[in-house]
Amino acid sequence: MNQADIQQIVEKVMMELQTRISQQSEDKIDKDEKSFHYTAVDWLTHVPNPKFPEGIDELRKVTPARIGVWRTGTRPLTKTILKLQLDHAAAVDAVSGEVLDSLLKEFNLFTVETCYENKEVYLKRPDKGRVLTEEAVKTIQERCVKKPQVQIVVSDGLSASAIEANLRDIYPALLDSLEVNGLTQGTPFFVKGGRVACMDHIGEILQPEVLVLLIGERPGLVSANSMSAYMCYRPRKGTVESERTVISNIHSGGTHPVEAGAYIGTVLRKMIDQKASGVRLEL
Amino acid sequence: MSRVDGQSIISVGIDIGTSTTKFIVSHLKYAKVSSHFSLPRYEIVERKIVYESPMYSTPLKEKRDEIDLKTLAGWLEEQYKKAGVNVSEVKSGAVIITGETATKKNAESILHYLAEKSGDFVVAIAGASLEALLAGKGSGAFLRSKEVKGTVANIDIGGGTANVALFRRGKVLGTITYHVGGRLIELDQNGEITFISSSIQPWLHSKNYQLQVKKKIGFREIQQIVQEMCKDMLNSLTGQKPIRLDDSLIHSTSFQVIPPIDEVMISGGIGQLLEKEAPKTIYDTAVYGDIGPLLAHEVVKAIENCSLKIIKATQTSRATVIGAGMQSTEISGATIHVTASRLPIRNLPIMVIELNDEQIKSGDYVYEQIEQAMIEWKQYFQGEQEIPFAIHIRGISYCSYAALKEVAKVLFSLYEKYFPRNPVLVVICENDIAKALGQLLVLQSKNKVDIISIDQVVVEQGDYIDIGETINQSMVPVVIKTLAFMKN
Repeated sequence: MNQADIQQIVEKVMMELQTRISQQSEDKIDKDEKSFHYTAVDWLTHVPNPKFPEGIDELRKVTPARIGVWRTGTRPLTKTILKLQLDHAAAVDAVSGEVLDSLLKEFNLFTVETCYENKEVYLKRPDKGRVLTEEAVKTIQERCVKKPQVQIVVSDGLSASAIEANLRDIYPALLDSLEVNGLTQGTPFFVKGGRVACMDHIGEILQPEVLVLLIGERPGLVSANSMSAYMCYRPRKGTVESERTVISNIHSGGTHPVEAGAYIGTVLRKMIDQKASGVRLEL
Repeated sequence: MSRVDGQSIISVGIDIGTSTTKFIVSHLKYAKVSSHFSLPRYEIVERKIVYESPMYSTPLKEKRDEIDLKTLAGWLEEQYKKAGVNVSEVKSGAVIITGETATKKNAESILHYLAEKSGDFVVAIAGASLEALLAGKGSGAFLRSKEVKGTVANIDIGGGTANVALFRRGKVLGTITYHVGGRLIELDQNGEITFISSSIQPWLHSKNYQLQVKKKIGFREIQQIVQEMCKDMLNSLTGQKPIRLDDSLIHSTSFQVIPPIDEVMISGGIGQLLEKEAPKTIYDTAVYGDIGPLLAHEVVKAIENCSLKIIKATQTSRATVIGAGMQSTEISGATIHVTASRLPIRNLPIMVIELNDEQIKSGDYVYEQIEQAMIEWKQYFQGEQEIPFAIHIRGISYCSYAALKEVAKVLFSLYEKYFPRNPVLVVICENDIAKALGQLLVLQSKNKVDIISIDQVVVEQGDYIDIGETINQSMVPVVIKTLAFMKN
């Protein structure tokens, strides 16, 4: 084997290596982009060798707070920080997101808007989310049954993802609970940019006996998909907050949406029987 | 709806033991523990004794093989009067026949008779395992286990048996019962043996102790027997001697291996005798005509020899009756579905249907799983198909309404197919989904079958459940009778 041969072989090997390495890295990037998920397997951490493992488990079981996650020096682990940032990002997304039309179509909900204009105004001016636009009033008057026994309203509120995540479970459960409790509903619809007290304006327009509003809650670091069900007997202009009954924290890790839906019918039945809601209602 | 006295229900406990019968009345106070913004959730927040009967010698008929119901019922009636309670006001509680009395000819019929007559929702309880459990809850061992790190054992020693229950962090690990009791050997103050229980004979034989009725026995000799008895029990409890079902000292056990014990409480009649001085002569020993006082002090010595920590029980001779009266009742979740006219409903055996989230999500195997459970049940309860039972659905942690609807549909159609003559369908869920499942079943059944669907109750295959009338229109009291770890 002469010098040139060796040179050739080395060059060949080097080239081969280079292509392999570049292929590998391409493969890697490709794979990561397609399948990057930060899941419980990645972020779950534990205190190594705790003195009282059962005690830590018991405490962790009763709270969603980030306790017993261990530390590095005096600071949290990178995994914990990443999870916190992930949850924060999800919360931000929830506020700025919009409910998909396809979902609303699935439940035959038409859409009306409040005077919120846009998300920025919505966040700065809560009062605007309490009043429907003139157009909305007109649409509702045209399309809805007046003076229904139960009026169902869905609204994105502060979390569009709450509606996306829970409506499919809570809504049919709610309809069934109306049937079991012998209640009838009017024409349900969706309010974009709604605040809780938009119930009062709708109450003025349709004069239902009871109104239930399924609305996205202010997202937090525990869940960005949390929903509330606000209920009120004869909502109207001037309704005070203590006259509303609420079931909050409805999401997969909190109050089970199917059970909440099934329970709403019972609450509405009691409101109609007692002609009251909020603190005056005996549950 | 039950009449609710403020926010509490009246509960009674009746313990018909080998030597004494006890009765207590307690108030179980319940309160909403959920916030205004969540689904309602109630818990029993306080259990208070309002009346304790004196110890009453369990009345037996002449041959000692039958309980004298008439005398017993008369005494109970008197006790209700003294306590100032009407039977109709009693909304919960339990009657238990313990120790050797459970073997009396008419024990079972008496148990059910008294349970029916003692209040609206008083249940009958029997079995060494349940007895051990209730004693451990009544003595304070169960509560203690929630406060400390280790395993707490409660040894309840009565006339005929020693019932041991092990608790750890508020959970029951299991029970074991020994033929160790104060009245297994009876003698007079001259040292003459007057009675030897047949349940201790095999052990005496295995140890070569030749005891005979009407023969005299010396203090050293009886002390040695009792010491040996305690040593054997402790060797078994501390795992130095493996558990064998043919062990003549073991009555029944749920354990194959007993986990390490950290603390011990002693309750029962023997627990109470600990307050008295240790007997030094046969005359002192036989002050009650049995080996009780000697046994009490030898048990303590044996426990100390194993270097186990002894904790004073908060209740001793009344531990079981207090457990029965105060700790047997739990309340269900408050979002449930019940058909009020069907309550109370008693003694339902539990059928367990095991599903998992994956199956429910995909819908695969749900039908097969439920059908198989029902076929097995039918085979097991052949000829008794009219007996109502409760279906416990396990493994649903989170599911969509569509998936739950599918489960309800399958469950109801199979129930109708296999149990067409059962007028009630009782379902018990682990998690808070009973109302949703209940309404789905109601819509499925179209009022052909009454639906009872409750949740947040922990049951196992082999348990029995009693469900009482609704409280506050939202929840039901339940008594779960765990027979799962009975392996006689």
